[in-house]
Amino acid sequence: METIRQILGLLSYFILPAIIVGFPLYGLFKKVPVFEAFVEGAKEGFNVAVRIIPYLVAILFAIGMFRASGAMDFMANALRPILALVGFPSEVLPMAIVRPLTGSGSAGIVVDLINQFGEDSIFVKMAATMFGSTETTFYVIAIYFGAVNIKRTRHAVPAGLIADFSAMLIAVWVVRLLFG
Amino acid sequence: MLNYIWAGLIVSSLVFALVSDVGDITRDTYRNGEPLPVTISFPDGFNVEARRQAAEVRINTQEFQSFYGTTNSPDSVYAATLIGTEEGSQLRFDVDANLPEPLATIRDATNPREGQLQGEVVAGLTPAGGTVMLAFEPVRFVKMNAISAAALNFAETAVEIALSLIGVLALFLGLLKIAEEAGIIYAIVRLVRPLLKPLFPEIPDDHPALGMIALNLAANIFGLGNAATPFGIKAMEELQTLNSTDDTATNSMVMLLAVNTASVQLVPPVLLLALMGLQINQLIFAIIITTFLSLLIAIASAKLLGRLKMFRRTDPGLDDSASDSTVQG
Repeated sequence: METIRQILGLLSYFILPAIIVGFPLYGLFKKVPVFEAFVEGAKEGFNVAVRIIPYLVAILFAIGMFRASGAMDFMANALRPILALVGFPSEVLPMAIVRPLTGSGSAGIVVDLINQFGEDSIFVKMAATMFGSTETTFYVIAIYFGAVNIKRTRHAVPAGLIADFSAMLIAVWVVRLLFG
Repeated sequence: MLNYIWAGLIVSSLVFALVSDVGDITRDTYRNGEPLPVTISFPDGFNVEARRQAAEVRINTQEFQSFYGTTNSPDSVYAATLIGTEEGSQLRFDVDANLPEPLATIRDATNPREGQLQGEVVAGLTPAGGTVMLAFEPVRFVKMNAISAAALNFAETAVEIALSLIGVLALFLGLLKIAEEAGIIYAIVRLVRPLLKPLFPEIPDDHPALGMIALNLAANIFGLGNAATPFGIKAMEELQTLNSTDDTATNSMVMLLAVNTASVQLVPPVLLLALMGLQINQLIFAIIITTFLSLLIAIASAKLLGRLKMFRRTDPGLDDSASDSTVQG
């Protein structure tokens, strides 16, 4: 386990460079006007940031109120014994609930956890892993089935939720294993 | 569903705050209007002329505990400043004072900006020091105030965060655009395609649906969410041409959804990249492992749930007689 951690630790230095250098390099190789393509894509940065503001506000203020009222502590304490059975920390429960419903809202949860526990905290790592490894299930189902007018979705929702639910548990477990 | 959760958060905050505040009032947690006896001394001597002078405050633990009906203990001594004003003398505890509850709450509620606990010295002040009576401003509806403050603060934080992400978002969206234009998706479609055949047994070999599904997954793998969705919708339309009903999902459609919601990703979502910065370097492995395992579970649950009688009965891919005879198998 320790060696795996070390190998991954070494490899991890190359992830961002691989993306930041690798994509333009691949673009050059494929004869794409890389600079123009980059600028074209980067233009969206401002729009995306502005587009997520309402979602962030909606989720952050509601979670903030919930925490300030003491309801969060109450819920966390009440659910802790149950969640402990599967080794799930109650601190990241909001992520597990919000993630299948809204992507930008989940970003709000990550922000909230960073504010509360600091960037390096294991809870932030767990929440970020959940964010990265699952999808906005309900949104995907709504869009894809909506596009072809499917009303009876059969086992799509249960299958998606089972996948999400297990991803949440696996994320906790993997983060504990790699960083615990 | 999101509507209920969101509204639930807000409404339950209000209910919780109200219950806790009413509880505080009935228990008189903050002893509003009643002065707390503390012992005060002046290490630098008492100067009648001076407007501000250093003071040391000692709070008797037993007295404190019986006064507030708590088990918390104060520190042995607190540094404070005595300020002479026209209305009388005011005692201000230092900012970094480690105050026990409920004093910490009284401080936060009555003087949130400076973070100093301040009380009016109502009786007993002598140049020699000794026991004085310290009255704090009344504290009511702490939680009510706290939830309003939280709502306002977090709304502000949300915008600050979102705007601070612009740069990194632009960086990654630019890079992804290059990858998209370079056709990085097509580089792995050939890799993905053969793996898909066993997942979608209902699709005929030369049908375009399989190609669209491969494109959709390849786009997902590289975090190209904007490209993945149109491919996914196109794939659904192709699958619909194979569907014998108008409004019922086929097994292939459910499988496509399951694989999509498990979201196989080598490049994490741009938002996460922007939020986590360099930390993503380490997290990426956790994400890849998790996403891969949850993909397996998604596939298994789509396959296995499809065999349940309740879902099998509605399978548009089977006619009634066929489903009856194969249900046991």
